[in-house]
Amino acid sequence: MGLTERPQLPVMGGGGQEASFLTTRLDDVVNWARRSSLWPMPFGTACCAIEMMATAATKYDQARFGMERMSYSPRQADLLICAGRVSYKMAPVLRKIWDQMPQPKWSISMGACASSGGVFDVYSMVQGIDTIIPVDVYVPGCPPRPEGLIYAFMLIHEKIRGEALKNRALRAEDPARVGQPNLPAAVIAEIAVPFGNSTNQNKPSGLLSTSAVSRPTDRQP
Amino acid sequence: MAEKELKDALAGLESGPQVTPTGAAPRGEPAATEPPSVRALRARFGAAVLHHTVHAQDEHVVYVVAEQLVEVMRWLRHDPEQCYDLLKDLTAVDYGAGRPLEVLYELWSVPLRQGLRVKVSLPLHALEVDSVEPIWKTANWLEREAWDMFGIRFRGHPDLRRILLPEDYAEGHPLRKDFPLRGRFSRAEQTRRALARADESSYTPHELAVLQVEPEPAAADDEGPQGAGR
Repeated sequence: MGLTERPQLPVMGGGGQEASFLTTRLDDVVNWARRSSLWPMPFGTACCAIEMMATAATKYDQARFGMERMSYSPRQADLLICAGRVSYKMAPVLRKIWDQMPQPKWSISMGACASSGGVFDVYSMVQGIDTIIPVDVYVPGCPPRPEGLIYAFMLIHEKIRGEALKNRALRAEDPARVGQPNLPAAVIAEIAVPFGNSTNQNKPSGLLSTSAVSRPTDRQP
Repeated sequence: MAEKELKDALAGLESGPQVTPTGAAPRGEPAATEPPSVRALRARFGAAVLHHTVHAQDEHVVYVVAEQLVEVMRWLRHDPEQCYDLLKDLTAVDYGAGRPLEVLYELWSVPLRQGLRVKVSLPLHALEVDSVEPIWKTANWLEREAWDMFGIRFRGHPDLRRILLPEDYAEGHPLRKDFPLRGRFSRAEQTRRALARADESSYTPHELAVLQVEPEPAAADDEGPQGAGR
């Protein structure tokens, strides 16, 4: 799975030439503390939650990353793990939980359904939770194995490692966005264009037959 | 599967759901012999029993006139020879193409160990049938589900509200064949509506009434520290 190699992400808002010795060292300490004691908020709605539980159990043991304390209150959580499909009826709940989590906070979209709606391209299902809340890491799979979720933890760790206190915009909260969709309406409409994964479902995109769909390049009419 | 068969199946997928050429709803085999319940029903209600079919050898289906449904059901429930005391399921089927919806009642008699399926056909322009909630209490939620998904009104139901979808869902009844798979609104509009939904629409009127009652300090004190909280 490549767990031995550390994923490399760009450093966000700090660590450049202009950063002083003191602030970068302080960032190192703060980021070490943050990434070593993430408290996950489990938002398990479907079968992905079973794999999330397996990740927490003895064999995969996410306590190794200081994450054994699952926070069932969003007020004490740093990392929202959305494991499973989210219905429109559940969408305001997800958004409210995200809004209740204090900064700094990160989120993982676990599995195909949380990331894109998956096979549930129907009237009742959110087509990707990034329309509702910001997402840091998407985990592919149906459901992903615990190794996949652990790799997502590694990516989150790496993301935290690159953060700088100097960058105020990174953790800024905009009160006007509380309870609002995460993306503009036009973007939601664009990403919700059907993939052509079921019968005769391409008409809204201007494609008439399932066989006319190859892959993302011709998804748009 | 043979190659040709597979090709035909894929071609069928491309062309989508097809109406059966006869225009009739799928029916079971006409039964060679009628079970005792059906014979008794015919003897007692005569013309109210429209016809009787059998599926999978021993699943007997009786079509009943909608106007006399409750009368028939009450007799099936209380007659000592029938004693269908368990309503296993109540749901509906839309066969599409403008054909009538069928409401089906899955009955089971625990003491006599026999089952019966009763069906009622409702034309699309008059989706109304009397509630069987007074006979089987379990029909309360099942009829609410049939209302939610198919838009069938159950006359005399004590609390006919949506049960699965949110109370302010504005797109209609999604299991009807004329309902588009992805819903009537765009994804952007669906997302906007979901997040703009009032918290109250997730609660029952009863729960809202409880929430709006101001907790009385004296009563809360009597219950001790646990009762004092909200």
